[in-house]
Amino acid sequence: MKKLVEIKDVCKIYNPGENEVRALNHVSLTIGEGEFVAIIGQSGSGKSTLMNMLGCLDTPTSGKYFLHGQDVSHMTDDEQSDVRNREIGFIFQGFNLIPSLTALENVELPLIYRGVGKKERDRLARAALKSVGLAKRMTHKPNEMSGGQQQRVAIARAIAQAPPILLADEPTGNLDTASTKEIITIIKRLYHEGRTVIIITHDPGIAAQAKRIITISDGMIKSDIINPEYKDEI
Amino acid sequence: MGTFGEYIKSALSSIKNNKGRSFLTMLGIIIGISAVLIVLIIGDGMKATVNSEIDSMGASSISVSLDDTKTDKKFTRSQLKDIEESIDNIYGISPSFTVWGNTSNNRGEAFELYISGESEASETASGVKVLHGRYYNASDVEDGKQVLVISQTFARHIFGYEEVVGETLDVTAYDITKEFTIIGVKEDTPIDIAFAGFGEDIILTASGPYTSLAEAFNFDVDDMFNSFTIYLDSENRNAVLAKTRSVVENITGLRGENAVKISSGSGFDETTNSILDIITSVVAIIAAISLLVGGIGVMNIMTVSVTERTREIGIRKSLGARTSSILTQFLAEASILTFTGGVIGIIFGLTVSFIICRIIDFSFSVNPVLVIVVVAISTGIGLFFGIYPAKRAANLDPIEALRNE
Ligand SMILES: Nc1ncnc2c1ncn2[C@@H]1O[C@H](COP(=O)(O)OP(=O)(O)OP(=O)(O)O)[C@@H](O)[C@H]1O
Ligand SMILES: [Mg+2]
Repeated sequence: MKKLVEIKDVCKIYNPGENEVRALNHVSLTIGEGEFVAIIGQSGSGKSTLMNMLGCLDTPTSGKYFLHGQDVSHMTDDEQSDVRNREIGFIFQGFNLIPSLTALENVELPLIYRGVGKKERDRLARAALKSVGLAKRMTHKPNEMSGGQQQRVAIARAIAQAPPILLADEPTGNLDTASTKEIITIIKRLYHEGRTVIIITHDPGIAAQAKRIITISDGMIKSDIINPEYKDEI
Repeated sequence: MGTFGEYIKSALSSIKNNKGRSFLTMLGIIIGISAVLIVLIIGDGMKATVNSEIDSMGASSISVSLDDTKTDKKFTRSQLKDIEESIDNIYGISPSFTVWGNTSNNRGEAFELYISGESEASETASGVKVLHGRYYNASDVEDGKQVLVISQTFARHIFGYEEVVGETLDVTAYDITKEFTIIGVKEDTPIDIAFAGFGEDIILTASGPYTSLAEAFNFDVDDMFNSFTIYLDSENRNAVLAKTRSVVENITGLRGENAVKISSGSGFDETTNSILDIITSVVAIIAAISLLVGGIGVMNIMTVSVTERTREIGIRKSLGARTSSILTQFLAEASILTFTGGVIGIIFGLTVSFIICRIIDFSFSVNPVLVIVVVAISTGIGLFFGIYPAKRAANLDPIEALRNE
């Protein structure tokens, strides 16, 4: 398996000094291409901090982060933007759609920043929305859709330009059971289609569906196991 | 740069999504731009109208003099002739000097005389109207004929009636007495009347060839004039003014010495124009301040917009938007607002100034450069006042921005 993500001895310290918070405390982690990883832990354990690091939204206080073998730990803002655009699809707990844009326009955003032409952009965005079952909701604005539908738009946006990594931070945190099932099913399907999926959750039920489970506590990795109960089915 | 179009599009849609607010922002710019435009156009119209009224006033004059602090030279008789021949579209030129003298009528009453010695061109000065006889002509001047053209008042006081052509008159000045023949009587001008009625002494006014007056009272015509007057029609004024200095400098040999002073007649139009310009600039500055206030309004709204859309900026950055993309988007929004405001302001300003010019009967003309400058200024205001909030937006930390509710 080729290394995709390699984190070496990473620390993230907030408010250095007396009241410092070590959100990540000497974390090392390697994730290969095509893995399905769940990161689980208590609230405040550092999950989101780790995800921001992995997603190149944040840089470590110390340590190194290699993505596709490239050192991305100390890049400029614009370089980070480019890496995010190329490598990473985000799925957030709060959906993070732009309320003034339609579903289609939201999905087109990363393609615009990628510099994809109008026609190709339209084609890719429509295909992505179709693959999450939203062919009929393309021109709807976020406030005209249910939470589950909004999260599906967000997933379509994350996969529209086919990034190698999908990063999902509590993707079902705001959803009811039925929608949760729907979203998890889509995420699993994306994994089966060959994407690397990293899902952050504090719900053991969801973590149990991943192939590899990493437990984190107080900014440190407590365990990193291959899920014995993993069932290779959608 | 296909993506640039996208930034414009997202700027447009954000303007559309906040119609009320966008309109209020533009209103500041609209009022500012149209105020500036109205002031400048009406100012121009006022100037053009006043100037065309001055131009249509007919007879006019320009006076030329030598600065005696810069040169000792005087205009000689032959130089004056050369100058007259070298300038087109004029009635003629005339030097001027004054003889203060005395005379008395046949009842023994004494009168003071104010006699101006000029060339025949002075007949074309505004207000000169010969009632009886004729004005002195070129050959009278050439030959130094001892003739006078007197005012109506003059004739009545000395002779008791007006038709006195052919009568003679003894004039005493500088202890010399000479006899002059009256060849014409001209209508009283306000000046003639004022001289005659001013104070206790009656002063009578007349005019004669400068050559003969100089000769009669022992003046040297070639060493007495450091000024002369050009008589012309108002409509040729600008063309003549443009030529006069070089002609005079060439003929007098004073090139480059800055010794020739030209004053445009009474100076009425120059003074009026500069007063009009001052009024226009003062009002334009006030209007420009309102434009500045409009610009600050843009900055205010853009700041609100950035604050409100912090999360959106975070989302865009997480999806790969670069600093420059966000900057462009917000600058585009500010510029579109002010550009549109500018265009509406121009249409509004032109309409209003057209109507006002119609109502108060000013000539209405629009300098296209002015319009272009105004559009450029309004877009510039958008960029200038948009930069601060746009920079703030572009430099937001994506994590912080995403956390914003
Ligand atoms: N910007 C910040 N400044 C200071 N401390 C922070 C900041 N962001 C996170 N922290 C702290 O870092 C620690 C880890 O936070 P993090 O958001 O990663 O937790 P989490 O595991 O995602 O929790 P949750 O499950 O509630 O989302 C927490 O103690 C938090 O208070
Ligand atoms: Mg979290």
